Amino acid sequence: MDLGLLVVLLVLLSVAAGLVGSLVGMGGGVVVIPALVILFGVPIPEAIGTGAITILATSTTTGAAYIRDRLSDLRIGMFLEIATVPGALLGATATVFLARASLTDALLVALGIVLLAIIPGSLARRNQEFALARPPDARSQALRLSGTYVDRATGRSVSYRAADTNPALGVMFGAGVVSGMFGIGGGVFKVLALERYLGVPMKVATATSNFMIGVTAAAGAGILFAAGYVNPLIAAPVAVGTAAGAYVGSQILPGLTNRAIRWIFIPVVAALAIETILRGLGLP
Amino acid sequence: MTEPQWEAEDRTLPPSAYLRMAIVLRVGLFASLALLIGALAAYLLIHPAAMSGAAISSNPILQFLNLPGLAGGLGAGNPAAYLTLGLLVLVATPIVRVASGFYYFRRGGERTMAGVTLAVILMLLFGLLVLGPLVR
Repeated sequence: MDLGLLVVLLVLLSVAAGLVGSLVGMGGGVVVIPALVILFGVPIPEAIGTGAITILATSTTTGAAYIRDRLSDLRIGMFLEIATVPGALLGATATVFLARASLTDALLVALGIVLLAIIPGSLARRNQEFALARPPDARSQALRLSGTYVDRATGRSVSYRAADTNPALGVMFGAGVVSGMFGIGGGVFKVLALERYLGVPMKVATATSNFMIGVTAAAGAGILFAAGYVNPLIAAPVAVGTAAGAYVGSQILPGLTNRAIRWIFIPVVAALAIETILRGLGLP
Repeated sequence: MTEPQWEAEDRTLPPSAYLRMAIVLRVGLFASLALLIGALAAYLLIHPAAMSGAAISSNPILQFLNLPGLAGGLGAGNPAAYLTLGLLVLVATPIVRVASGFYYFRRGGERTMAGVTLAVILMLLFGLLVLGPLVR
């Protein structure tokens, strides 16, 4: 296949993945990374490196609007990065060593399992828009991990204070490891920590997670890039396509009900995850 | 249910800080995408017969993953060097965003949060400049 044709196909795949991924809140990487391996024969470490670059482009595209609207809580986000960044450094370094040790099959199996593990979290219904107020812990008080935002849908001013910072930091470290190791955003885990342990409202949790995903991805991408696992001839068209798809998705998101899209997208992710596991196990 | 009211305004991170960080993101994103798209188009023009198999199996930027190599490639107008620069700008954009957070926390006299953001910056730079090249 001509390189030019490959670039066109990668852009088309990535636009679709970025668009649909942003609509269902899973990100395009969960489709792009296994698709690169299965459809285009890209080695798994380079596919993961491409995923990390893709997250950077996507989160930067959609994150700027959240920050401008002050929906991302920069104070809480920057505090939690103290856990996600070392996690991502560890995860990306592990990927490099697994690749060097010719354990790429194990990496494929682990990637497939992680993709399957993300699905239930993405399916979970989130009815509780405003988190219940809980008493902040000492660290939260000392660092003033609190905020207020105006909910556009209801016109209400919503105040919140971060509650249990220790378990949130633990989950964030794990989210960082997953992100660095597999080149995916891990937003499901980050939103879980923000919402369940810190008691941050859903909209703020989603926007803050998006803000953090870019910084976490930069940690993993930095290592994979410097180690030579980011091939720009693959990463550039995928990053551009996914960012374009995610931008369009973020623009049309408010006018869409995403239930039907979700039920199409999730089986695709599940099928790719199972195929990835089978490939890693050497099964047809 | 009565909404609890805490701090109405964060003086360390005023709305202007949020706006500036959003601008940092936009500028970084557009700069990197412009570099990546332009350099990719130039690469395809220069290598019209390039095949996908060779492109997937060999990374064209390995020689530019150090400062002298990158500077030389940029000076020579090598598209692969500009692809490397585009990726570097993309990776550096969130780091600059965290650095701006450090600036605001330090200016606001919040030593702990300034220390947290500084630690994050140092870890990011450690990964990019030390750990990555070390495991290459």
